[in-house]
Amino acid sequence: MQNTFLVGLSRQVALSRELDVVANNIANINTNGYKADGSLFEEYLASNARSDTGGRVSYVRDRGVWHDMGAGPTEHTGNPLDLAIDGDGFFAVQTPRGERYTRNGALHLNSTGQLVTSEGDPVLGTGGPIAFQPNDRQISISADGTISVRDGASKVDTARGKLRLVTFAKPQQMQKDGGSTFKPGAGDAPQATATARIEQGAVEKSNVRGVVEMSRMIEITRAYTQVATLLQQQGDLSQQSIDKLAEVPN
Amino acid sequence: MRALSTAATGMMAMELNVQVISNNLANMTTTGYKRQRAEFQDLLYDHVSRVGTQTSSQGNILPVGIDLGSGVKTVGTGRLMSQGSLTQTGNPFDVAIRGDGLFKIQLPDGTYAYSRDGSFKTDAQGRIVTAQGNVVQPAITIPANSTGFTINPQGQVSVVPSGTTTPTVLGQLTLTRFINPAGLLPMGDNLYQETPASGTPQDGQPGVDGAGDLQQANLEQSNVDSVSEITNLITAQRAYEMNSKVISAADQMLQATSNLMR
Repeated sequence: MQNTFLVGLSRQVALSRELDVVANNIANINTNGYKADGSLFEEYLASNARSDTGGRVSYVRDRGVWHDMGAGPTEHTGNPLDLAIDGDGFFAVQTPRGERYTRNGALHLNSTGQLVTSEGDPVLGTGGPIAFQPNDRQISISADGTISVRDGASKVDTARGKLRLVTFAKPQQMQKDGGSTFKPGAGDAPQATATARIEQGAVEKSNVRGVVEMSRMIEITRAYTQVATLLQQQGDLSQQSIDKLAEVPN
Repeated sequence: MRALSTAATGMMAMELNVQVISNNLANMTTTGYKRQRAEFQDLLYDHVSRVGTQTSSQGNILPVGIDLGSGVKTVGTGRLMSQGSLTQTGNPFDVAIRGDGLFKIQLPDGTYAYSRDGSFKTDAQGRIVTAQGNVVQPAITIPANSTGFTINPQGQVSVVPSGTTTPTVLGQLTLTRFINPAGLLPMGDNLYQETPASGTPQDGQPGVDGAGDLQQANLEQSNVDSVSEITNLITAQRAYEMNSKVISAADQMLQATSNLMR
């Protein structure tokens, strides 16, 4: 009989973790380049506790969190340092923790003219970090990531490097590393991509869909309440049987 | 329950977003104002089960792990230094910058600040000053009773002194450029200060080496775009609401748990 409580508990633990995932998605609904998470559950069959109970007891267990790698909507900002990636691909970023990858294209310049993320980590080009000169103006970035500027009063474009766009063979093995960055799975080396294109003057917003998350949240709370009711009824049942069975006949 | 604090970070971030948007809207008609934008990033993840962990001695690995995020953080309120539109005012002391660069202003304490606001005046000594009375650098004094005050696109200031008919050049206005103008520190009063992030100031002549040129009798409007601000405001408000719903959902679940015990 204790199984009811344990099965119910396993469901409640899984549901509260799923709510954590939904809460994180909703908190990041306005984070550029954020990818929504989803929860995966699996059945866990326990070995028979007693032979006369018949079938095996099945619990629920949360198996993993998967990343929805679909593209988020692109917002046009007109800012020359806002870059959105159209298609599969990531920007490579040199962080203190090692090389990380991001789709957050709201970039900035630092005091030495390097192209950096909002956290100040340099964005990598095919030949290392990209640096601009003090006289550079009219930064233009083509669809394949080639960066060109007008140097001073010059009338022709000067190249300032090419952004490195990479893809991964196993995007699902990528781990989120905070700061809108991803860390690739073990042994999954970044590969240059030719299919992804860069759109200048636009940023990729978060791909969290408010409606989906809200309905998931309702589902979670309802399921949680249902399990709680079930447990309560089970508790009442045990209470009753104890009362009945323990009644001492006069 | 982690969802409570996660949703709280979301609400705080959206509150800040609304604050930034309201400041932009409040400064819609401020001369030379550059709009700000709040930028967010996801917070650290708790890797409950690491992706790629071996699940059997045959080398099977977990295809997905359990990463629980802990919310959102604001990384910065970056300033977008795009050009604001110019409006003609007809006042000869109004100057707009078309292109990169800022005016250099000397503050009363002798330090320098930088501004895109070119609504200049003259003080009692005839010097060109800002609306607060701070002297525009390099200081240019206009002789009394002179006429025909002109600033050409290259920043040369000339007047026709009283009793003559030919204009004389009084001086040259400079523009200061920064490699990262978005890294300047706003001081209020349309002034910005140099910071370690902005890089060192580079004084130059307007229209030379990538600096913008000057437009006399024009003012630069703020670059706030009301349509995009209002849409951002709606998004921020809805996101705030959704985060508050997460808190009530977590609360309901906790209530269901506590109701188990009677």
